[in-house]
Amino acid sequence: MNEDQVNDMIQTWRDTPEKDLTPDDFQWFKNLGCACVTGGDCAQLLKCIQDEKNQEIVKSMGCVLLEPLINGIVKKEKGLYHCQAAITYLTQTCRADELLQSLLGLIEDIHPGAISETIMRQLSRLPVPYTQQQEEADEFGLCRCYSALAEFTKSIVEEMKRKDGDCDTAEDEELRTELLKFCLRSLRDPLLEAELNRDRKSSLWLFAMEIMVTLPVIQVSLSELLFFNSPKKSPLADNSQLNEARACLAYLLFVQRINIDSFPAVYSPVFILRCNVEYISQLLSSKKESHLLKGLALFTKSLQSVQDNALPVSLLELKSFYSAIQNLRQLLTECPLQHLRTSGLQVLQLFINKLDPEAKHKFFRCMLKTGNHAGVESYVVKNIKNQVEVSMEPGNHNKWFLGEEFLSLLGLVLCFPQGAETDLLHSMDRIMESLNLLRFLLIKDKVLWSQTDVWEELVRIKDEYLKMLRVCISMSRAYYSAELKALREDLKLKVKEARESARSSTLVKRITVKHQDVSNMSPEVKHQVLQSALVTFDLMESLIFRIEEIAEEKRKIPN
Amino acid sequence: MDAQSATAIFAAKGIDITPNKDQGVIKVVKRPGLNGNQPMIGDRVTVHYTGKLLTGKKFDCSRDRKEPFCFNLGKGQVLKAWDISVLSMQEGEVCTLLCKPEYAYGSSGSPNKIPRNSLIVFEMELLKFEGEKLTDDGGIIRRIKVKGEGYTNPNDGATVKVHLEGSCAGRLFDCRDVTFVVGEAEDKGIPLGVDRAMDKMQRGECCVLYLQPKYGFGTEGKSEYKVGPDKDLVYEVSLKEFQSAKESWEMDLIEKLDLAVGVKHKGNQYFKAGRIFQAVIQYQRIVSWLEMECGTGMDQQKKIQDIIVTAHLNLALCFLRMKEFSQVVENCNKVIEIEEHNEKALYRRGEARLHRNEFSLALVDFQLVLQFNPSNRAARAQISICQRKMKEHHEQDKKTYANMFQKFAERDAKTGKPKRRRNESTRSIKNGEVGIKRRRSSQDCPSFQ
Repeated sequence: MNEDQVNDMIQTWRDTPEKDLTPDDFQWFKNLGCACVTGGDCAQLLKCIQDEKNQEIVKSMGCVLLEPLINGIVKKEKGLYHCQAAITYLTQTCRADELLQSLLGLIEDIHPGAISETIMRQLSRLPVPYTQQQEEADEFGLCRCYSALAEFTKSIVEEMKRKDGDCDTAEDEELRTELLKFCLRSLRDPLLEAELNRDRKSSLWLFAMEIMVTLPVIQVSLSELLFFNSPKKSPLADNSQLNEARACLAYLLFVQRINIDSFPAVYSPVFILRCNVEYISQLLSSKKESHLLKGLALFTKSLQSVQDNALPVSLLELKSFYSAIQNLRQLLTECPLQHLRTSGLQVLQLFINKLDPEAKHKFFRCMLKTGNHAGVESYVVKNIKNQVEVSMEPGNHNKWFLGEEFLSLLGLVLCFPQGAETDLLHSMDRIMESLNLLRFLLIKDKVLWSQTDVWEELVRIKDEYLKMLRVCISMSRAYYSAELKALREDLKLKVKEARESARSSTLVKRITVKHQDVSNMSPEVKHQVLQSALVTFDLMESLIFRIEEIAEEKRKIPN
Repeated sequence: MDAQSATAIFAAKGIDITPNKDQGVIKVVKRPGLNGNQPMIGDRVTVHYTGKLLTGKKFDCSRDRKEPFCFNLGKGQVLKAWDISVLSMQEGEVCTLLCKPEYAYGSSGSPNKIPRNSLIVFEMELLKFEGEKLTDDGGIIRRIKVKGEGYTNPNDGATVKVHLEGSCAGRLFDCRDVTFVVGEAEDKGIPLGVDRAMDKMQRGECCVLYLQPKYGFGTEGKSEYKVGPDKDLVYEVSLKEFQSAKESWEMDLIEKLDLAVGVKHKGNQYFKAGRIFQAVIQYQRIVSWLEMECGTGMDQQKKIQDIIVTAHLNLALCFLRMKEFSQVVENCNKVIEIEEHNEKALYRRGEARLHRNEFSLALVDFQLVLQFNPSNRAARAQISICQRKMKEHHEQDKKTYANMFQKFAERDAKTGKPKRRRNESTRSIKNGEVGIKRRRSSQDCPSFQ
């Protein structure tokens, strides 16, 4: 066809009202499009459809151009840019339902899994909004996309509802599988990243609701999925991906309480905790704030329903509990975000409160051995003191915090793994708590330590501990006093230098050799730190003195 | 019914079913059971229930969900009151329970639903129960007579002390106290089913295991016990005590390498004796110990790689015998990741693929074998088999999917393509090359269950 014939045809179409257009017209228009695309004339085609005079034609028949244009892009014909521009233009101009039909026709034979995967993959390239302001701004349009996606899935879900979950044909089964995979993928990304709060009905929250509503429709039992699902039957390729999806699901169900009313209320809280601990462990092992927040919230919620002093020691042997606690400990010691550390500490205390006495004993042992962090250790020692206090109340008597068993624990508390080289400042918290504990034990009536050899052992531990502590203090004091003196000398030297250089006009500077600075604090701050260190040592010594006093008094009192 | 009258009725007609008679759970039978069958601990039970506060307010009901509730009895999965009460029920029984908070939601209650320290009323119907399936194929079913304790179970390599009573068709053929190593029960004449059940048992537990022949004495039977071929067996097992074997993370690399040699020999022994399952267990231990290890220095690394390759190759061979072809491919792939030119791995993978009718893939594997070892006659023979099968099979389906977009262009000419076409293509995914293109996408989404 030559240009004249084309122009004639176009002119005819311009003059024809839409209802008079025949299927042949559509076919010719489409052929025209094909010819342009394969001939590399996409620019021409674009110009044609953007031409003002052709708008009516484009509105009525534009959809047929989609197929050749998309094929052109897929086959990477020349003029890619123009093809894409043309498609964009068409989507803005043509009627939506016709467009949709054409698009659906194109993808009809592609496996639904590939389609949903592509959609999800494209969406996952968009960053997930993290704060409320980001969500409202929705800079990258993610929230809008998910709102649209939610609407889109609603209609598919309605279809399944109508069938009342009867998956008779292979197609139904396939639809169900795809919906399940879609839900699981969405739970992982973006929902796991997003901040989801029922007080703020954001678009991602609504999307989450949609997912939670979809699952029962496709006959997925939440308890099966969360508590009993064996990893072999995973519809998602990757096991850890499935776990992330389930972790998010557990969070939405138990913390945000979406659809909790239709979840059976008869599971035992300890069982729920046991099942959730795997997800908690997974969430706490992440370095992302959104994951950690959810992990901590899930842990808190799961612990709250458990009775105090109820968790048995055998639970601690479970690998999932062990790794969850280790991850929590890592969060407490290494996470840079203050608010997470604070929340983490609250969760730790809640956990301790729920353990029974034997479990507490074992847990404290474990934390002291693997602690490696003065802050955590001092917290544990404080808890030990509280437990001893509780155990002394009438009716609470147990062998784990009184008597022989307790002494083994005490031995772990009152020890210096680094011997005389212990950095007292570093371990200050722990040592102060330990001294407090010691003082407390000695003040309480000796009668409670009913066996004499238990008392003897206690005194022996105390003696060894205090002896070593005194050595450490004297060494540390010597060191820090020397540091302080050197610092003062240094300051004096600096002042002198300043005065001299102010007097003389030469630029000759005297180089003063200092010994290595341990830290890069400013001299003033360093001075303060050293001073307070020396004060602390004094404090420790006075505590030691008091303890010895009490022990002496006890010894003098007759049995 | 208000709180007072409810409590009165329970006091008058109910029985205290708690073990220590503390009035924690009172039961009133509304409708007695059908046949007197009672469930055992561990059984998978199915119930319908309604939970109400004493005020009469309903907080949970399985009938509202139109779905009966399933759980494993006596395992602490549900409220204490339930574990106690369902154990006392018979099949078909309907009863009501009055539960003190200690046996229900305790002093925590349940936020928004159940206040603290609430007395709870449950109406329960026991629909059915069945033994607990320990394997997916239902080949080992367990019913617990006496519950054990503790949350740990014997792992592979653990030493266990048990009392066994094995019977077949009601006749007792084996009764003894025996100590054995988990994974090596075969050495003491104990079938696979009992061995595999160990890692689900608790210390002090006494249970009854129902074994299908696959997990019993198989097609061979056992002449010294006078048990014929393909017989179902019943074993009553009491786990008296056990000593766990060290987990992978508890051992250091040198320890693992030392033990791995012995484990490999054990596996080989089992394989030669035709005990393929048992051989698989041994080889898998090696893999689980060493798959994450790197070793320091070239020597150690080589040592690790060698034994892992051997383990995977042996596993591939075992799975070929067991006709678990996808497992064969998985294991061969692991070998090929380490040693690209491993002849045995390529050959065995080819065999597996041939069995799965993936002819062109199998062909590639055998051709590679020949490439690295031209004198391998077996590979030559396999190649001709592949070629023959490829001819026999329908190749046109493969062409259908060869160029999807070409198809669209061709469709331009036609109008109103019937939608049925897609169903046809779905249905034709059974055998043949067509499985490949299609299967690649469906590998991402295998069917649910």
